[in-house]
Order: sequence, then C-alpha cells, then structure tokens
Amino acid sequence: MNLVTFEAIAGQTLSGISVGMVLFLIAAGLSIIFGTLKVLNLAHGSIYMLGGFLCYGFTSTFASVPGVFWWTLLAAPMIVGLVGGLIEIFLLRRIYAQEMLYQYILTFGLILIIGETCKFIWGVGYHTVGAPWPFNGKVSLWGLSFPVYNLFLIGCGFAVFIGLVALMRYTGLGRIIRAVTYHREMANALGINVPKVYTGVFMLGCWLGGLAGTLMPPMSVVALGSDMAVIIECFIIVVIGGLGSLPGAFIGAIILGLLTAFGIYIIPKLAVAFAFMLMIVILIIRPWGLMGKPE
Amino acid sequence: MKKPILFSTLAVIFLMMLLGFSFLAQSAEKPIVIGFIHSMSGAMSMYGISSEAGGQIAVEEINAAGGILGRPLKMITRDDKLNAETGLREAKDLILSENADFLTGTISSAVALAISNYVKREKKIFLVNISQSSSLTEENWHRYIFRIDTNAVPYWGYAPALALAKKWKDKKIVSLGFDYETGKNSLRAFKEKYLELVPDAKIIDELWAPLGTTDFTAYISKIANSGADAFFLSCIYGGGELAFSKQAYAFGLYDKMHAIQPCAGDIETWFSVKKGDPYPKGALATCRYPFWAIKDPRSKQFVEKHNKKVGFLPSYGAMNQYLIMYALKAAIEKVGAVDTEKIINALEGMVLDTFVGKIPIRPYDHQAMMPNWYGVMDFTPEFSFPYITKIDVIGEEGYHTVEQIKKLREGK
Repeated sequence: MNLVTFEAIAGQTLSGISVGMVLFLIAAGLSIIFGTLKVLNLAHGSIYMLGGFLCYGFTSTFASVPGVFWWTLLAAPMIVGLVGGLIEIFLLRRIYAQEMLYQYILTFGLILIIGETCKFIWGVGYHTVGAPWPFNGKVSLWGLSFPVYNLFLIGCGFAVFIGLVALMRYTGLGRIIRAVTYHREMANALGINVPKVYTGVFMLGCWLGGLAGTLMPPMSVVALGSDMAVIIECFIIVVIGGLGSLPGAFIGAIILGLLTAFGIYIIPKLAVAFAFMLMIVILIIRPWGLMGKPE
Repeated sequence: MKKPILFSTLAVIFLMMLLGFSFLAQSAEKPIVIGFIHSMSGAMSMYGISSEAGGQIAVEEINAAGGILGRPLKMITRDDKLNAETGLREAKDLILSENADFLTGTISSAVALAISNYVKREKKIFLVNISQSSSLTEENWHRYIFRIDTNAVPYWGYAPALALAKKWKDKKIVSLGFDYETGKNSLRAFKEKYLELVPDAKIIDELWAPLGTTDFTAYISKIANSGADAFFLSCIYGGGELAFSKQAYAFGLYDKMHAIQPCAGDIETWFSVKKGDPYPKGALATCRYPFWAIKDPRSKQFVEKHNKKVGFLPSYGAMNQYLIMYALKAAIEKVGAVDTEKIINALEGMVLDTFVGKIPIRPYDHQAMMPNWYGVMDFTPEFSFPYITKIDVIGEEGYHTVEQIKKLREGK
C-alpha cells in the first residue's frame, strides 16, 4: 500500500538525506585516505567502531559531568586520530612500496585486532548512549515526528563537508595535501616532507572515522560487528562518487541515502539491490566515479 | 654381578606396575567429551559466552556428583566466528582429533546446517541450543539432530500470532524483517497462524532490511506513514533491534501504533538501557527465559551461578545448554553406555525434568517442546532495564504439528 502523499514523500526524502549524511560522515575519512595515500583502508569500519566504543566508554564513565557528550566529541576523535597515526607510522609505512595485496592483508589484520581489543575492553554486550541536550527532543515536520538529533547529524554532515573543502582549497596545508595527492614525486622534489603529509592525512582520515563513530551512538547502537556493517556501504559511496573525491563522496552518500529511502518506499523487496546496481552501472559507464578523474 | 640384575628386575617390575596403574586410571576416568561450537567472538559473542557458561555450570554440577557412569564430563569450546566453514572445520576437529562423543551449540543457522549435514554422515549426535531455523528439524531433519530450544516457528511466528490474537487483534499490520531465511520463514509462520485466527486481518506491507542494518531511519518513516494499526518485527534481534527501538522511539513510533517485537523479551539486548532511555514502550514481546517469573528455586540458583561466572544475567542459550547437558546425562545413564544409536532412541520421547517444567522431546522431529512466554515491555523497580510484564505462556500449540512437518518433508 503506497500512500503517495506529500507527507510520505517528504518524510522519505528527509530520511534519505539523514541516512546519506550519516554515511558521508563515515565515508569521508576513507575517501581522503584513498585519495592521497592510495591506500584502501579496510579497517576504516573498525576505526569508526572504536570511536563508538570510546563515546560509550567516556559518556558512561563520566556520566555525572554536565555536557559529557560534547567533551567526548572533542576527545574521542582525537584519540582515534592518534591511534591512526601510530598505525601509519609503525605499520603502514613499511608496506607502501609493496603490492596492494599486502595493504589489504595488513588492514584486514587490523580489523581483527581492533575488534578483539574493543571486546577485551568493553565486553560483548550492546551499549547505548543517550542523545545529548539540547538535541534530545522531537520536532514535527510534515506530519512526521523527526528526532532533533538526526537534524543535528545532517548539519554535521554539511559542516564536515564544507570544512574539508575549505581546508583543501583555501589553506596552505590543503595546498600541500593536494600537491602530494596530485604528484608525489614532484612534491618530494620541491622539499615537501611527504612521509609527514602521509601520516597527517591518515590521521585526519581516522579522526573523521572516529568523529562519525562518536556522533552515531545516540541514534544507533554501539556493538561489535558494526565495523563490518558499515564498510560495504562506505565502499559503494566512494566508488560511486569517485575514489579520492570529497565532493564525489558527498554526492555519492546522498544518492545512496535517497536511493535506499525511495527504494524502500517503492519496491521494498529490491531496496537492498539498488545501491549495488547503481555501483555496477557506474563502474561500467564511468569507472572513475561521478566526480573522480580518469587515470 | 647380582646387583645389576636385581636392580634391573625391580625396575622392570616397578615400570610395569606404573604402566598398569596408569592404564587402569585412564580407562576408569576417560571423560565423556562434549564438543561446544558457538560464536565466541564478534557481534553474537554474548550468546556464545553465556551458553558456554550454562554448559560449564552443568558440567561442574554433574562432575561434583560423580560424573556420568563414573566418568567425568568434559566440554570443549570452539569458536565458529559466525561462519559456516569455520564451524564445520571445528566440528570435524572435535570429532576426529578430540574424540568428541557429542556436538552441541551454534547460534547461526547456517553453521548449524553445515554441522547437521556433517554429523549425518559421521553418525554422531548434534544438539542445537540456539539456532532457530525450523528447517533443521523439519525439511532437513535426520536421526542425528536434536534441538533443546524453541525454534523460529513458535518464537518468531506462532507465539506472537497467538499472543496478538488474544490481546489486541490488530487488523492492518506492516512488517519489517532482516532479509534472510529465518526472517522470511518467521513472517510466513506469523502470517499463517495470525490470519487463521483473525481472518479479516491483513499484512499491508512487507519491508526487508539487509542483515546487520543498524540505521532503520528510512524504514521507520515508511512504517509511520503506512496507516497500519501495528508493526511486526520479523527476526530483528540483538544490536539491530536495540538500534531500531532507539530510532523508532525517537520517531514516536511506539505512541503511534501497536508494536509486536518478538525477541524484545530477551533481556540481553536491553542491559544498558535505563529508565528514561528509549526502549520498545508497550510492545508485545516474546521471551525464551523470563527467569524473573520462574518460581522453581533451581532456576534462581542457575541465575546466580551464571551471574557469578560471567558477570551478567543468563540468556536462554545458557539455560538450553544446561538442559542439553542434563538430557545427555539422563539418556546415557538410561542406556548404560555412550552408544549413539541407543541414546537417540532414549532421547526420543524422553520427558526432561527442567526448572521451567516437564518438557518432552517430540520423536518425529527431535524438537523439545520448550515453552515461549510473552508479555508487554515495561519498566518496574525490580530491574534497571525493561522487560516483559503481565506474562503468559504458550506451549506445544506454538509449534508446527507433526502433520504440517510431514507435508514439508514430503514437499521437499
């Protein structure tokens, strides 16, 4: 039964954008890391999950501190970023010269290590985090009750996107990153400390993953296994949008979100397949993604 | 010259005595080995750890009372990593290298099916403690599989249908389920029973989410706009259910329509939820071990022992694994030996004396007629987390009848 009403369509659109923004927040880090380092970080989902567990860990340990969620939002992504830095310096650096296969094996190993570490520290149960004040209410939009926190997440998605684009385009640091991305050898020849840039970008990507992981628990659940649940969608977005393109990831995420929402609305039985079908179509007609550059 | 001969003779006699004693000792104490394969890591590890604890509690109790036929019981745990190939490999290792006499466990129905096919060839008994897929004891049944657990037909289908028909009799229902075999079978069972009891009811829409989804936003907005009286969750459990309930609560869905959430009654999902947090408010839920409502003191002891062992309250998986150990004990003692074929005959029709009642193992499908409880989700001062109140129980009527199973096996 399809109620083709304005409320229903508006409701699905808003849900679609909400879903998409959540996915963009997670995929942005993956996109940046691949764009500059040409490393496909299979453990990105684990980084995200680690952010989630840290969010739960801090908010439950320091539950009596007012505004604990906001302090956690400041601290947890930084910790995750530091973990990323350690991974890059001590592990990834040693295999840049090797084939891609070794990167996959290493990052896959990290999935297992990070997963077991989370289980060791926080146990096997499911955990929740409450939505923080002032975003813990509902608002009525077009007859549908929408949680305010989801709107906050949509806002965060836009903020992160604009922030990253601004960083890349208008700052000196962004220029350096773009130079390294575009032509690593030339940047090196011009005196840019390429290994340092690599470390920095990897840390930034992990910081973004950790940020997404910290933002998610109030509207979802912190659980082992959430790393595997998100990584596939991240890849779909990054492929559709173009590997290494941030605007591409943004558009890819919104497309995926809306496709999912309207797929559910129109043909629920095929909703799952739509994202993959789109990815296949893009890989066939435009393999470098919507906004990527042909190699 | 004499001393070396005397010395070596004594040494040989001493060695023979030593060997003789150790040989006697070995055969007297050769343990009965029970292989336990479960999800000990990853998303479902809580159930693996809890089930293992339930089994170990039984092993300790049985061994403290002298074992089975004078032999100690030994349970060996292996991790299937929620993967059928891994589980099968561990099953083979347990039988071939560890000489396991019986295999037990599994939460994933895919792993259970793989092990079931294996034990059919090996002629060893496999007792399931959690895996819910009804096909294990229905279409894909064979002599060597037993299940001491409820299954998807009553738990996800018939019991909620019977409960809803007794309580609210909603006419327009929209369903949301995880898109895999158990999810699809659950909805089919629910529809079968509910439409039989409330003929003018209708499932107005069926939504399916990929297994492992944690963002249900788009599904919730569709449910909210569907015009239904109630929504039914088909096999959405664990972390996914917790996420769904949070999101649905935040969207005000529980105030908008009735909720039928089988599985919400299993408390493991809600341990971290406190009063004031989002939860499935007022939802009709089924439960597989509502120990707070079980009066038998043996149950209370079991709850305490489990809590002491692993630091959290028991899941139904723990109870089932505990019952499996005692069922094997009863069968082995009845037969007088670890003889697989005779034990199968002993188990068929055996009535287990458990702390949730006297439970028969139905011979046709080797399915123990475990009860399913249902009630309404609420908070009370007894626990910090939500659970079912106003509890009622559904027994054998929740399961497929022998005639129904016969048809399924013939139609295969």
